[in-house]
Amino acid sequence: MTSTVEVTDLCRSFKTSTGLLWRSHRTTEAVRDLSFSVERGELFGLLGPNGAGKTTTIKMLITLLLPTSGVARVLGIDVARDPQAVRSRIGYVFGGERGLYERLSAADNLRYFAELYGVSPRSQRTRIAELLELVDLSGREKERVEGFSRGMRQRLHIARGLLHDPEVLFLDEPTIGIDPVGARQLRELVVRLREAGKTILLTTHYMLEADLLCDRIAVIDKGQLLALGTPTELKSSVDIGQVIEVETFGLPQTAIDRIETLDGVRTVTASVRGHLQLLVVQGHPGAEVTGSVLAAVDDQVVHRVLTREPTLEDAYVALVGGS
Amino acid sequence: MSAARIVFIGGLLSYRALFNWLNPWIFIPTLVLLPIFQILLFAFMGRQANLESDQFFVIGNAVQSASTPCLWGMTSAIAGERSSRTLGLLLASPAPRVATFVGRAIPVIANAWIVSLISFAVGAWLLRVDLPPSRWPAIAVLVLVGSVSCTGLALVLAAISLRVRDTATLANSMYGVLLIFCGVNVPLAALPGWMPAVSAWLPLTRTIEATREVAAGASLGHVGGLVLHELALTSGYLLLGICILRYFEASSRAKATLEVV
Amino acid sequence: MNRVVRAARLVGVVWYLQLRMFAVSAFEALMQLIWPMIFATSAFLIFRVNGDRELLIFAGLGASAMGIWSAMATAASNLLQEERWSGTLELLVAAPAPLALVLAPVALAMATMGLLSMVVTLLWARFAFGISIPVADISGFLVSILVTIAAMAMLGFLLSVSVIRYRTSWALGNALEFPGWLLGGFFVPLAILPDWVKPLSYVFAPTWGLAGMRDAAAGRSPWLQCAICVALGVAYGVIGLLLSKRLLTSARRNATLSLT
Repeated sequence: MTSTVEVTDLCRSFKTSTGLLWRSHRTTEAVRDLSFSVERGELFGLLGPNGAGKTTTIKMLITLLLPTSGVARVLGIDVARDPQAVRSRIGYVFGGERGLYERLSAADNLRYFAELYGVSPRSQRTRIAELLELVDLSGREKERVEGFSRGMRQRLHIARGLLHDPEVLFLDEPTIGIDPVGARQLRELVVRLREAGKTILLTTHYMLEADLLCDRIAVIDKGQLLALGTPTELKSSVDIGQVIEVETFGLPQTAIDRIETLDGVRTVTASVRGHLQLLVVQGHPGAEVTGSVLAAVDDQVVHRVLTREPTLEDAYVALVGGS
Repeated sequence: MSAARIVFIGGLLSYRALFNWLNPWIFIPTLVLLPIFQILLFAFMGRQANLESDQFFVIGNAVQSASTPCLWGMTSAIAGERSSRTLGLLLASPAPRVATFVGRAIPVIANAWIVSLISFAVGAWLLRVDLPPSRWPAIAVLVLVGSVSCTGLALVLAAISLRVRDTATLANSMYGVLLIFCGVNVPLAALPGWMPAVSAWLPLTRTIEATREVAAGASLGHVGGLVLHELALTSGYLLLGICILRYFEASSRAKATLEVV
Repeated sequence: MNRVVRAARLVGVVWYLQLRMFAVSAFEALMQLIWPMIFATSAFLIFRVNGDRELLIFAGLGASAMGIWSAMATAASNLLQEERWSGTLELLVAAPAPLALVLAPVALAMATMGLLSMVVTLLWARFAFGISIPVADISGFLVSILVTIAAMAMLGFLLSVSVIRYRTSWALGNALEFPGWLLGGFFVPLAILPDWVKPLSYVFAPTWGLAGMRDAAAGRSPWLQCAICVALGVAYGVIGLLLSKRLLTSARRNATLSLT
């Protein structure tokens, strides 16, 4: 039994040239020796900062880009050799407002793509109605997309990606720029899709979203794989113990430097939050540092103290920040 | 002093910001090739219809070619402020209104003049229209008059385009009106009865007439009456345009209509 | 067989939905009709001065057909750019249907707008200028028009894929409009054009379509002209298809599909 998506030593570089007369050429490695696999029915997250190579990876998998080297297979089919066979079995949805025909109604947009994906004429009508129901757009299907909110567009996008009932779904930052309520609806939809047995590859840079949704996560940066595992594994793989957040006012730099040297302290980051200062202290696993940190900070200036377990975000910051 | 700065520097900067046609990939096809092809199209039509000479068509169409940069440049310069949501900022600034908007006109005029001269020269060369070199300076002056007068009308259109959403349609339609009514391709006397009455109120009509006379050997002084008449009409249009701008500005503060895209 | 039916259905649906998109923007659709009419009106005014009936009919017919080319030149050259801006170009490519089968019906929809413009201009010529064009062989005339529309759609398809790398291709489209009217002999017979442009006229399908219309109107046989027009249309289609294939391979290699 092979994996649904299998990526082996995948590389992709771009040549860019600038200048009109003296053109200088530069090669950028967008994806470098990337390997991972996604199993059937899995919700797999691709996590990384902007420009990490997430979208480039997805575009290679959905056959829009050729790999420079390496192999990528979707459902056992080589994406470089047989794009046509891959295209009819996968769905692709990207975030943002583009990718729809503004002047057509929601239903007409779906009809258009149903035709492109060869959905049989007999089942089109019921399929479109089903999907509109699924993405909660029933009753709005006759309206033109120009009047849709971002959240509605995004759900319509997902319906579009599902028209031909693909086995694998690629979601490229589907919640980008959507208000919290809309993003939540969208995440619920993604969960329902996984429950329906779809294999889903999702890219995002919202940690909470990845933590909530994904079975496994690959963290990539600068085109390379930094870590791979379940959210819990990732959190424990990075050796962070307790995290202490201290809200203070006017803490001198010398105090911060002193905390950094304390026993059991891994990292200290200070940031300004309004008129307050936020100190995030990550301890080494097993170390109990709250007492010594508070002792190092003058009581007079402490506003609030919070001790918590490390989140995926802490792990991510440790991974990407440390690379 | 500062008004002059707003007119020239503000005008030029906003022109470059809002009117992207200066990019050669747009400028050459639409402002160089298109007018030249228009000259050829109508000159060949004239040959086929046994109407007038090649020179007649070169002059009419070259002078009218100023209207493309005028109409599009002016409407984009002002309507563009609205769609890029900078109009509110502009109106909120203490800069004098009239200077600000008239400043928008100067680069438009310069652009139109250049476009008109290029199509004139290339059209004449392609069709072997022989004009003695001594007549070119006067022609260049008249072409400038045409560009100015066309910009006056364009300011009215631009002011209207603050309220009308479809500025492209507005500019295109006005282009058509000028092409049909200003005696570009048909002598005014040969237009159906009611049409010359409209022509009299449009810019370019008198400039085209004056340019044809100068090309045929008349002196600038000889066509002075036509030029003065054209400039008077232009001032009328400019005044009307500024009045509409002021009216829209005042009413928009009451009804908040300018920022609606 | 099933595949052919599917492809035909795809072409039909895309064509229909594209026309619906045009219909939504009344202003733009109106301009598509008015713009060629402006030039047709200029032509009518020029040709009526000397009152030569035959010349007037010759130009009147050509002027009416002008919209077929202008719809194509301006809209088709910008077709892929618009898909790119709206972010749908990538989706079209990622779909299993061949891109050519999507672009061709879109171009056909544009050519259909051209047909509408022809009808409106013929009515304008009739009622505003009293120019009625006598048509001796109605069926030959209609076939010539349809053949021209189909060949234009193929030309539009070819044009759209040829200019994909040209970011502001709408500007190029604008500049193509007038030369097309000259080359195709819309107002003036090819005989008065310089010799060096004639080969261009001969490979320009509307030249033959229009000649077919004129022959049918005069009661002569339009079939040879129609056949040449069809052959040119097929040639445009084949070249467009090959180009679109090459374009897609190169786009996958060089990442030129999306705007961002």
